[in-house]
Amino acid sequence: MNTSSNGYVMGFAVGVCVVISTMLALTANALKPAQEAAKELDRQKNMLIAAGFVAPDELKSAAELRQIFEQRVREAVVDTVDGRVVEGKTAKDLAELNKKAVADAKASGGDLKVAAARYRAFAVGAGADGKPDTYILPISGKGLWSTIKGYMALEGDFNHVRGVTFYEHGETPGLGGECENPAWCAQWKGKTILDEQGHLVGVGVKKGKVDPAVAAEKAHKVDGLSGSTLTSNGITRFVKSDLDAFAKYLTSLRTK
Amino acid sequence: MTSTTTAPAKKSLFGKDELKAIKDPLWDNNPIAFQVLGICSSLAVTTRLDKALVMGIGVTLVTALSNVMISVMRNFIPNKIRIIVQLVVVSGVVIVFDQVLKAYMFDLSKQLSVFVGLIITNCIVMGRLEAYAMGNPPWRSLLDGIGNGLGYLWILAVVGTIREIFGAGKLLGVQVIPQAFYDAGYVNNGLMVLAPGAFILLGIIVWVQRSISGYVEK
Repeated sequence: MNTSSNGYVMGFAVGVCVVISTMLALTANALKPAQEAAKELDRQKNMLIAAGFVAPDELKSAAELRQIFEQRVREAVVDTVDGRVVEGKTAKDLAELNKKAVADAKASGGDLKVAAARYRAFAVGAGADGKPDTYILPISGKGLWSTIKGYMALEGDFNHVRGVTFYEHGETPGLGGECENPAWCAQWKGKTILDEQGHLVGVGVKKGKVDPAVAAEKAHKVDGLSGSTLTSNGITRFVKSDLDAFAKYLTSLRTK
Repeated sequence: MTSTTTAPAKKSLFGKDELKAIKDPLWDNNPIAFQVLGICSSLAVTTRLDKALVMGIGVTLVTALSNVMISVMRNFIPNKIRIIVQLVVVSGVVIVFDQVLKAYMFDLSKQLSVFVGLIITNCIVMGRLEAYAMGNPPWRSLLDGIGNGLGYLWILAVVGTIREIFGAGKLLGVQVIPQAFYDAGYVNNGLMVLAPGAFILLGIIVWVQRSISGYVEK
C-alpha cells in the first residue's frame, strides 16, 4: 500500500482524530459525576477554610470535611434588594430565582444587572457552642483572564474579616494565580470592611506593600501580588461590589 | 517441570532487549540526568513530594500508553504526518489523565494546574515516540515507556523530597522537622521553594549520577 499518497494521508488523519475524540468523549462523560462531586467538595472545603474551621494545609478526608460542613455551616439564600433571607430556598434555586428577577426587571424597567444577581447564596458558620459566629459571603468577579470565585468570612461583628479563599480561577499560574496562595490569603484576616465612621469601604489589594504607619491602609488593604496588577485590581473591585450587594442584609443583621 | 515450560515464554517476554529497554533509562540512559529532557516540569512540580510523584506517574503512564499506541500503528503512519499523529495520540492520553485527576485527586490537580496539560510538550514523551516506538514492537515500546517514565519519576521524587523537607519542613504534607528545631532558631530554606533551588539540586544530581555512571561528554 502506498502510505504517502494524499488520499491515504487524509484518511489516516481523519481516522486517528475520530478514534481519539471518541475516546475523550467517553472518558469525559464517564468521569463527569465524580468531577462534579470533587468540585462541590472543594467549594465546601474553601468555605470551611475561609471560616477558619479547617486550616488550608490540614490533611482531612472527604468524609471528615463533609461532616464538619454538615455540622457547622448552614447555607441560605438572600434577597440583596430588600436584604432579607428567602425562606425555604437553597443555592440550587438561585438560577431560577434570578431568572425570574430579570424577567420582572424587564417588565418594570429595572436595572437588569442588579436583577441578574439579586438572589445570592450566603452561609452562616456555627461556633463550637452551635451559635452562629461567622458569616461566609461568596465573592466572585473578573480578574485578568477569568472569573475568580472565592469566599470571604466575616466575624460576628460584620466588620472584621475572618478569612478569605479563592478556589476557582484561570489566572496566570505563578502570577495572578498566586491569589489562591494561603500565605497571601492569610493577610486578609483581621482587616475591616467598615471605616471609622461606619461606611462600607471593603478590603482592597494595594500595588506594592502595605504601609503599617497609614491607618487606612493597615485596616483596609493587603499587599499586592507582584506581576498581577490586573488580577489585584479585579479582586479589589469585585470584593467591594459584592460587599455592597450584601450591605443591606449585613446592616439588618448588625442592628438586630 | 513447570520451570522448563515457563522458561522459554519468560525469555521471549523479558529477553536482553526487553530488559535493556526498561533498565537503561533508569540509570545509564536516564531521560533527565543523561538525555537532559523534561527539565522545565521537573523544576516546576517538585516543591512537594506528592506533586512530584503524581507528575512522575502521569508521565510514566503517558509515555507508556502513547509508546504502545504509536508502536502498534508504526507501519501505517504516513511519514509526512508522523509528528502530528504522535501529538494527537499524546494529547489524547494526557487529557484522559487530566480528567481522571480532576475526578479523583481534585486538590492535586489544582496544584499541578497547567503542568499536567504540559506533559504534552514534555520532550521525553515525543523523544521516546520518535526514537523508540516508531521502530520497535509494542511490548518492548511499553517497557521503554515505563522505563523512561520511572527514570523521570525517581529523579523528581529525590528533588521533591529534598525540597519539601528543607523548604517546608514537611514530607507528603506531614511535619517532619520537629517544632523544637524552629524554637531553637531553625528556619525553612526559602531557596528550596523557588525554581532556582530545584535547578541547583538538579545540577548536583546530574553531576553525582554522571560521576557514578562514568559518563564522559564527547
